[in-house]
Amino acid sequence: MNPDHDEWSGGEPMTRVSPTGEGLLGHTSLPAEQRELLRRARRLEIVSLVYLLSCVVVVYLVMGSSQAMKVAWIEDLLSLIPPAAFLFAVHRARRGRSVAHPYGHHRAVAAAHLTAALALLAMGLFLIYDSGSGLIAAEHPPIGSMQIAGQTIWAGWLMIAAMVYTGVGPVILGRMKMPLAEGLHDKVLYADADMNKADWMTAGAAVLGILGIGLGLWWADGAAALVISASILKDGVSQVRGAFADLLDTEARTFDDSEVHPVIDEILAATRTAPWITHAGCRVRDEGHVFHAEVFTVPVGPSVTVDQLETLRSAILALDWKLDDVVITVVAELPEGIRTSPRGMQREQ
Amino acid sequence: MRLTLALLCGLVILALGGCGTIPRDPDGTLERVRSEQSLRVGASDGADRLEVHVAGDGGAEVSGTEADLVSGFAEELGAQIEWTVGGETELVHAMERGELDVIIGGLHSDSPWADAVSLTRPYAESTDPEGSTVQHVLAVPLGENGFLVTLERYLDREAE
Repeated sequence: MNPDHDEWSGGEPMTRVSPTGEGLLGHTSLPAEQRELLRRARRLEIVSLVYLLSCVVVVYLVMGSSQAMKVAWIEDLLSLIPPAAFLFAVHRARRGRSVAHPYGHHRAVAAAHLTAALALLAMGLFLIYDSGSGLIAAEHPPIGSMQIAGQTIWAGWLMIAAMVYTGVGPVILGRMKMPLAEGLHDKVLYADADMNKADWMTAGAAVLGILGIGLGLWWADGAAALVISASILKDGVSQVRGAFADLLDTEARTFDDSEVHPVIDEILAATRTAPWITHAGCRVRDEGHVFHAEVFTVPVGPSVTVDQLETLRSAILALDWKLDDVVITVVAELPEGIRTSPRGMQREQ
Repeated sequence: MRLTLALLCGLVILALGGCGTIPRDPDGTLERVRSEQSLRVGASDGADRLEVHVAGDGGAEVSGTEADLVSGFAEELGAQIEWTVGGETELVHAMERGELDVIIGGLHSDSPWADAVSLTRPYAESTDPEGSTVQHVLAVPLGENGFLVTLERYLDREAE
């Protein structure tokens, strides 16, 4: 336990005081539902890591000199990063706040996200170059036979079997991870699930490439490799964009970045119910899992009581478990560039 | 998505329909050897595992382990061997130009030519004077997978 952390939370009766430990994200104690989701997500990511490692080994053993298989192997290797990043981020974010880390360690998620995204982007570019140049040089990929239990069989069949093995798992895992990513508001998990869901296409492209070689079409392998490389690059670009936006403290959005997070409207609606406020605005940023909210209020009269502020703060804290760090300040005039009116939608509580 | 699936199904059916003929050669080496009944073999002079005797009329006679192997292979395909004798580099370049079907020359599995020609799986192992194990391979044109697999099947049978 961190003494600084205790001091911080001890002074404020409205803060949900929590010891660090299992099922917690730093300062934030998770509701039972999220605690269960987190447990399942961690288990699922460990299963993913083990499965992907088996894929990496299997594909390495059979890849031979097929470019499509090489690219698919590197993709399998790269897809180890998001589950590892998720586990690292969750582990790291569990540490509490301290004087040295006054916002907690939630940004570990963003750091992990950017790292994974850059790896994808760089690899995508390299593989497009590598596959493209092989195609331009008209390299004919040699795939010979392998001897298994006294039988000589074409190695291409083994490659196809390996690709079917690596293609089936991620689709199932991706579908299982998606609802967890939403419930936990975890963007690394979302990115991972999203990539997993599209993984069968990689495997399918590699199978097409190998079958193409089998039919005497030497370019099929390079073409398949190029398709897979392009999908890695596409993932890389969209992930870098997302990670960048998070680091720039854009307004908090939903787990899949599809819209502004509805809790922002709820915060503004809550300020409107307080009779002592004439105008209010807020800015909410996503720290990774949890939000950091600053609420600006312009009071009706010349003075505001501590009670009024605390009542509003606890009302806002009660809106969502993600709202852990809420600062309310009193100003004479609202600053520019902050959201001041809800978008008219009220989420059911 | 649906297009990829349809393509995949189509190719699988195509592949299964022609199961015996997979893999095929992009440049049709195996078919050519069979139809012309001629196997163009390059023998690297000075290599171990084969001996080249240059006859007085400029013709050459090749003998030794690898020469015997490739003769048996030619026989199985119903082809006559057309020998070319030269240095390893010369033979590899000739193969890249499509002038040779097989190279024998005491090649090892870690040969630097692996980017230019397809090496077979090792057909034998031996110990070199320094005591390390070397694996012996033959070479065929790069990416002529049907021909490569046919040769490897033959080598497997010979090894038994």
